[in-house]
Amino acid sequence: MKLSAIRPILLLICKELAIAGLLLLGVSFIVFIILFLSPGDPFSLLLKGQMASDAVGAGTREALRVPAAWYAQYLSWLSNILRGNFGTSIRTGLPVLSEVIRVGINTLYLTIGSMLVTLLLAVPIAILSARRGMTVFTWTSTIFTYVVSALPVFWFGYIVIYISMHQFGLFPLAFGSSSQKIGWLYFMPPVLVLGIGNGTISEVVRYLREEMERVFSEDYIRLARAKGASIWKHSFKEGFLIPITEIIASKIPFILGGAVVVEQVFNWPGMGRMAWQAAQDRDYPLIMGITIVAAIIVRLGSLIQSVVYIIVNPRASQK
Amino acid sequence: MKRYSQYSTNISDFSDVPFWKKAGTMDLVYVSYGIFIVILVIVSYILGAFNLLPFDPHEINIKLLMAPPKTAGHILGTDFMGRDILSRLIIGIQAYFLPGLLAIAIALVIGTCFGILAGYWGGGFDTAITYINNLLNSFPRLVLILLMVAAFKPDIYYIMVIVGITNVPVVASLIKGKIQFLKQKYFIEAATALGLKNRIIIFKHILWHNCRSVLIIQATLGMAEAILMETSLSYLGFGVQEPIPSWEIWFCLEPTTLCRASSGRRRHRHLLYCLPSWVFIYLATG
Amino acid sequence: MSIASVLKIENLRTYFYSRSKEAFIRSVDGVNLEIDKGETLGIVGESGSGKSITALSTMGLISAEPGVIIGKIRLTTENVQKDLLQDLNNYVKINTSPGRIMEVYKDNSGWQKYTDRMMRGIRGKEISMIFQNPKVSLNPFITIGKQITESIMLNTPIKNRNEAKERALYWLEQVKIDSPRLRYNNNPHGLSGGMCQRAMIAMALSSEPSLLVADEPTTGLDATIQSKIVSLLAELKSSVGVTTMLISHDINVIMELSDKVAVMYGGTVLEHGPAKDVLTEGSLYKHPYTEALLASIPNEQHIREKGYLQAIKGDVLDTINIPEGCRFHARCKKITDKTREQCEHIEPDLNGVSPGHSVRCWLFI
Repeated sequence: MKLSAIRPILLLICKELAIAGLLLLGVSFIVFIILFLSPGDPFSLLLKGQMASDAVGAGTREALRVPAAWYAQYLSWLSNILRGNFGTSIRTGLPVLSEVIRVGINTLYLTIGSMLVTLLLAVPIAILSARRGMTVFTWTSTIFTYVVSALPVFWFGYIVIYISMHQFGLFPLAFGSSSQKIGWLYFMPPVLVLGIGNGTISEVVRYLREEMERVFSEDYIRLARAKGASIWKHSFKEGFLIPITEIIASKIPFILGGAVVVEQVFNWPGMGRMAWQAAQDRDYPLIMGITIVAAIIVRLGSLIQSVVYIIVNPRASQK
Repeated sequence: MKRYSQYSTNISDFSDVPFWKKAGTMDLVYVSYGIFIVILVIVSYILGAFNLLPFDPHEINIKLLMAPPKTAGHILGTDFMGRDILSRLIIGIQAYFLPGLLAIAIALVIGTCFGILAGYWGGGFDTAITYINNLLNSFPRLVLILLMVAAFKPDIYYIMVIVGITNVPVVASLIKGKIQFLKQKYFIEAATALGLKNRIIIFKHILWHNCRSVLIIQATLGMAEAILMETSLSYLGFGVQEPIPSWEIWFCLEPTTLCRASSGRRRHRHLLYCLPSWVFIYLATG
Repeated sequence: MSIASVLKIENLRTYFYSRSKEAFIRSVDGVNLEIDKGETLGIVGESGSGKSITALSTMGLISAEPGVIIGKIRLTTENVQKDLLQDLNNYVKINTSPGRIMEVYKDNSGWQKYTDRMMRGIRGKEISMIFQNPKVSLNPFITIGKQITESIMLNTPIKNRNEAKERALYWLEQVKIDSPRLRYNNNPHGLSGGMCQRAMIAMALSSEPSLLVADEPTTGLDATIQSKIVSLLAELKSSVGVTTMLISHDINVIMELSDKVAVMYGGTVLEHGPAKDVLTEGSLYKHPYTEALLASIPNEQHIREKGYLQAIKGDVLDTINIPEGCRFHARCKKITDKTREQCEHIEPDLNGVSPGHSVRCWLFI
């Protein structure tokens, strides 16, 4: 790549970063509004970071010197967030951010693993059906993906547990949240379940296949064929790389949502299970932290996708 | 080997093939699924309203807890509180239906407004709405719902509001895409030039004639998604609470998605009336 | 078949299938063409007359579903002598009833795989093709230099990347692109239509093919650029001398560049002969369609004669509903009572009216 071409790419990447930043700001605003409108007045807790009892009266608030106006609350809350101070969990008293990051790693394993599983299943089906049209194999597998996508993921998870555990004794499931070492075997069932059972596999197949078919019918592919060149090589960028990053980036929220359920089913010590626990306990700081971290992950995925697009597509960076 | 055959030898007979021939077999299967489900829902409401259920779904029968199927007239057995499962099944359809309706109503109304603003007027609206869309897309739905639950009370209707709002970006971008596509076709310009000054009339043209199919597909898909979300939430314990009968686990197949896949080439209105919830009953085996 | 013939198309028929109408679209319905070494065959016709489909059938670029190709295309070059449509029928089972195809059983993926295998050494190496709309036809993600280099490395014995690059630059000079070294690194969207077309010509010629198929090379361009490309093609014709099948609906282009001309309408060749005979007005033996085409060219002479542009009345043939008899008879101005019966019910054969020149018309039989 020529040096002169790099600068517009860098500019565009900076622009994408700025947009991501703005979006995260918006995210924080939404989270703030939800908490603000909540009848429980969570900010007295958050802004002082202390474990307070339920009976927090107005007098105590003033004593704690919590600013009353909402925008002031927002700003001080936001500054806390930016400094990494997400408050402390009501239940455990531990600082939220470090807790979330600690379990978030497990969730990341789960998320990335399941994305790989989904891709492993979806990509061959999409490629085959784009290239060879609807054969018996592709047709049945497409129907299969639709069926599977409609299954609630927890049902699927229980079925898997039931079948593998009780019938065949495979895949030991015993691990507590204390054990940090997650061996291969423990890893497999939740990843498989989330990878297959989240509702995204049918859409990934459909989107990939449509994009590939569209690219295959493009004129430049026709020219490549007339040239004797390999169409895979020519269609890779537009037909494969870009659609995959796009669909993965847009499905991350779904996968994270599915992770909540799967972690519950398999007792996986991750962010999702912690979120559920927090919701049960009405543990505002914790669930708030998880929401924000989740949003950050989503935005990160989207950012990566935009960056890939900018790098790959010369039309984006040269006006 | 695929078979292609000529419809008739008569040269002058090449009018459009009658539509029922055009529909493939799978399309007919989907349509029948959809109609089956519509019937199920209607039946459920009727039975419930007129008390025609075999047993009262709320009646607790302590003598018969967790009875296996076919005891004492309970065709599907009883649950852990002695209530007839079949009746609860039938009533349960209703529990999921109304909140789901709320969700898609919100999603469609707000989403369409946004889509029109962004697509038709563009410019600043477009940027703002794209921003809002991306914003709403940044949250995993379940996590946001948990946040809601922690902050407010775990009411299924509140939850469905969130589901609806998070579905807004999907609808909005669909509508916006459709409008931009139509704009390229010049007839919108023509309509404006002809003096159709009431933009509302133009919206009728755009929405009713062109976007109707997309909206219906979205509505049905959204319904299925809402129902799925409700089941997940019930599992997690946040969904429809007792004593509304909803302990059974349902899962929904989505023929509509299949419809959309196959009818991409022929936009038949009939296929779009497939409602998505083909209900499968899974009995909790404990 | 003359010894110097490079491409001989015999009775080519390409049918597509329309699902909504449940009928076969007969895009190419019995075409016979022959191109000798070093000469340029120009194929003229209105849109929908099957010219492009003929070219695509030759290249094997008809998408598998639902196109059906029947006939013989014989390619004879130094390295290859074969029938490009050989054994394609193994994948297709056709049921006909009175002269008309009624039912086709087609093994799509097998057909596609077979075509690809068949054309593997041929596309690019022996036959090159250039298309309409050069901007869209080039890969927007890769620089044009790399695309030409790729073609060279695939289709010529040159395997070294630097050598291939030098060769690409040589060809870019041949097509008269300004500052080839600079343009080598440009992406297609940064080049004008004319330059993209030159690049595409360079790419096609760089693999040194035995036959060049040019499908409407000037159609997507501005008028001034069109004439430049035409003069470029004329120059290349004299300097490189590659056998060409040139397809266009613009008669002026065909007139300037071709040695032989075939006029197509409704999927068949109506007239075929040396350019001089076919395209000069006032020659005795000419198909009414060709006459009408020539008269409709907007130039001073014609407008002065009649005072208005003379279009051909009627619409282009609907290739599903092909009528009985001569395909052009509905729009023909030259029907006489003597020939009316025949024109309306029996399709004429190609008949030679002078050496090398044949016409498909009842007027000359």
